Parts: sequence; C-alpha cells; structure tokens
Amino acid sequence: MGTNDEQEIENALRAYGDRIRLRQKLAAVQAAVDMDDMRQQADELRPEPAPMRSWWTTYRTTLAVAASVAVVTTFTSIFVYRSYQNGHQQQQQQYSQLSKEIQAVKSSQRRILNDLDGHGRALNAAVASAQIAGTGFMLTSDGYLVTSNHTVRDADSVYVQSQQGAVYKARVVYNDQPHDLAILQLCDDSAFRQALTTVPYGVDPRPSDLGERVFTLGYPRDEIVYGEGYLSSATGYQGDSTAYQVAIGVNPGNSGGPLLNEKGNLIGIISGKQTTAEGVSFAVKTDYLLKTINSIPTDSLKGQPLRLNKKNTLTTLPRKQQIKRMMACVYQVSVFKHRQ
Amino acid sequence: MSNVMKESRRTTLTDEELLIGLSDGSDSALQQLYRQYFPMVLHFVTSNSGSEDDAKDIYQEALIVVYEKVRAGSLALQCQLKTYLYSVGRRLWLKQLAQRGRYMVSDTEQSVRVDEDMTDHEERDRQFELMAESLDRLGEPCRTLLEDFYIRHLSMQAITDKFGYTNSDNAKTQKYKCLMRLKRLFFAEYKQ
Repeated sequence: MGTNDEQEIENALRAYGDRIRLRQKLAAVQAAVDMDDMRQQADELRPEPAPMRSWWTTYRTTLAVAASVAVVTTFTSIFVYRSYQNGHQQQQQQYSQLSKEIQAVKSSQRRILNDLDGHGRALNAAVASAQIAGTGFMLTSDGYLVTSNHTVRDADSVYVQSQQGAVYKARVVYNDQPHDLAILQLCDDSAFRQALTTVPYGVDPRPSDLGERVFTLGYPRDEIVYGEGYLSSATGYQGDSTAYQVAIGVNPGNSGGPLLNEKGNLIGIISGKQTTAEGVSFAVKTDYLLKTINSIPTDSLKGQPLRLNKKNTLTTLPRKQQIKRMMACVYQVSVFKHRQ
Repeated sequence: MSNVMKESRRTTLTDEELLIGLSDGSDSALQQLYRQYFPMVLHFVTSNSGSEDDAKDIYQEALIVVYEKVRAGSLALQCQLKTYLYSVGRRLWLKQLAQRGRYMVSDTEQSVRVDEDMTDHEERDRQFELMAESLDRLGEPCRTLLEDFYIRHLSMQAITDKFGYTNSDNAKTQKYKCLMRLKRLFFAEYKQ
C-alpha cells in the first residue's frame, strides 16, 4: 500500500465528488434560467419560417399548376399502362381452357355431396374452397374415363357425377400434359358395377374432313348440354396439329367432352376456345387420345387393362337416340383443391 | 435569484473568463454560459427529435465535459467556446439518438471534431459509475465518512465530532482504512 495508490483513489474520489457538486450547481442554475426567454432565443435561431412563408406566397400558383400537372401525368401514365397491360393480357388469353372455376356455387357442391353415400359425406369436411368443373366421358364400361388435363391438374380429389346424379370418386390414372388429356378411373365402387353401361360410340383415329358435322355433350352448367357444329380446320390454336378447330358453341365446363361425328364415332375431345372470335373452339384429335392410352404405364392400370370399345352402336340411330345413348356415359367432373 | 440574474447580465465574460469561472464553479459564469449558449443547444436538440428536457440534460453533460477537461488541464480550444460546446452537445445527442434507433436530421451550427475528447469523457463516465457502485458496496460508516471528507469537504475535526471519535488521529486512521477498502473495491473492477 504505497502513497501512490492512496493518491490514485483519492483523485478518483475527488473527481467523482467534483462532478456531483458541479451537477448540483448546474441543476440549480438551470432551474433559475428563464425558459421562455431560452425558447424565444432558440426560435430566433430557426432561419426557415419567415423566408418559407414569403416563398410560399410567391410560388403558390406555380406550385398548384405543377401539382395538377403531376396528378394528371400520373393518372394518364397509369391509365395508359393499364390499357396496354389489358391489351397484352387479351393476347395471352385468346386461348381459354374450358374448365369452369366455381367459387360461389356452394349449393351445387352441397348437392353433389348430399348425393354421396355415407363415406362420401364424411369427406364433406375436407372439401376445399376452390372447385373446378369440367366434363369427362367413359372410355370403357368398367370405369375408365377421359377428361382434360387442365381440369384435374393439381387436384386433391376428383368426383364424377352421372347425368342421373350418381356421384363416384375417381383417381387420376395418367396425365398427358402436352395433349391436355387425363385418364381417370372410378375408385372401386359396387354401385357402379351394377349400373354397368356399355360404351355406345366408336373411335375413329383417322383424320376427319373439314365440314364434317359434329356434336358434343358437356356440363357448362349443372345440367348436361348438347351442342352441334362442324369441323372448320384440321389444325388447332396457332397451327397446333394435334387438334382440330371446330365451329361449335362451347363454354367453360365443356372441357373434356366428347366430339362425335354424325355416325357416332369419336373424333376428338373438347379442350379450349379462342376468346377473341365467336365459335372458334378446339378439340384434341382422337389419334392422340390413343397415343395417350398406349403410353400409360401398366403399373398405373393396376392389372385392369384399358381396352377401348370397337363396336359402334350409334351409327344407324337418329341424332336424338344417339344423344340419349351418349348421355349415359358423359359425366360431370368436379375437382376439389385444398388452398395452400 | 432574479436580482442576481439581472446583476450578472451586465457583465459579459470572455471565453477564457468563462472557462475559469466554470472550473471554479462561479455562479455568474455558469449563468452566462446558460444564457449565451443554451438556446443554441436547445434549438439543435429540439430540431432533431428531442424534447426540452433532453436539451437540458445534453447541455449539462456538455458543460461537465468542458469542466473536467479544464480541471484536467487538457482543454486546448482550437475554436470558439460556442462551437466547441455545440460540437460536444451534438456528439452527445447523436449517441442518444443512436440508442433510441433514430438519426440526426439537421445540423444547426458548424461543428468541429471532438472524437478524442469524447473518448476521454466516456472513460471518465465509466470511472464515475464505478465509483458510485464502489461507494454503495462500501457500506456505512465508511461511505459517509469518505463522502464527508472528499465530496462535502468537511474538516477532519468536524468529522471527528460527527462520528464521535476520541480524537482526529483516530478519525484519520478510520478514514485511511475506509479509503483502502474503497480502493480494493474500485480497482478490482476498474483495472480489468
């Protein structure tokens, strides 16, 4: 313990004391200071207010004009940009896929589900908020169907409903994205087995001629709708050689419907339409349906081979009878998606 | 007090006289320091999202910085006292703003670099805090005894009487023992 150490701590202590006493003194002086006077002096240091005011009065009109020009310019730019964007969008959306998105039709959804048997109703709670509807039709009498790929894409569950109102759950066996086709299979359901219907139409893989009279059945609404027209071009949208152009009135929901000629042969599957022109619709050629069926891996078929019907029972029938027979094998496809 | 204020308003001290007055704790110097330069700091702080109370704290702190530098003999003003006070106040307020997660908007005066001075000040701040802590931990009667002698500047005789020691030698011994205990507490932390 040298004197050095003693001095060091004494100095630290004195410095500490000095600061405390100065603080007390300053606090006392500060308390006595005339704050109004201080504020006034501080305000006088602000150089801006006075010049600002005169500047404002001088340039008020100019500013108003500048501001209005800015407003007009802004909104004009927005308007021009929007209209450009809309035009652009229209171009992109000239081709519209005909699956139908239903947001508000909760009632129809409920009806479909009410028709389900007990285990179907249990699924009710899991049913998602977005529903897409399209058309599909039977390929074989033992439960294979075809529909548009864009209808069932990203589906969580797929249900099909017959014209009589019977609902079955289906699984997607195979997706063919390039040709916009999807093969469905009804999940094993005894009710369906009993109601086995034969497939009445034949399949014509040969290219059809322009001017061929064609008809289709589909579900643009909850009821089956018949439409007829003619083959107007051998190629589809933007020269797509896998599709036909058809002059036929179709709407969202028609997607995946069969396109039959006068003799009841399947010549295509409805896929989309051009939104900018009336009566310009497209259908995938049956040739590609056959290719799609051939490219299904055997594993996906689970030992139940997909054999197309060869015999056409519609050929000699009048149109009304053809429609009646066809109706039995055209189904409404309802797709449920869980929103992420 | 208002009489005193009026009286002192007549005298205007130079920067040098103000500094001497500050280091001596002269009331008239302190009053003039407030009158002359506080509005400048008040203006700066309130222009940069601070309140009047913030400005008061900052100005008091700035005066302490100057005071301690004068006392340590390390103040070498390269500019007007006004500019120096502004620069120190500015730095102190910037630190506060940074702690509050905000930024300075505008300078209201010219400023000079005070980085080194501020480093010294932060060191003294640390010492001050540490001393307050050490005195707290020292306990009674040592704490009061030391405070009476070193801070309140009571005479040894007054302390002898106050604490009831038999004579002032006895009091000195006590004071020495207390000082040594304080030293241990203080330097145990400080020298780390």
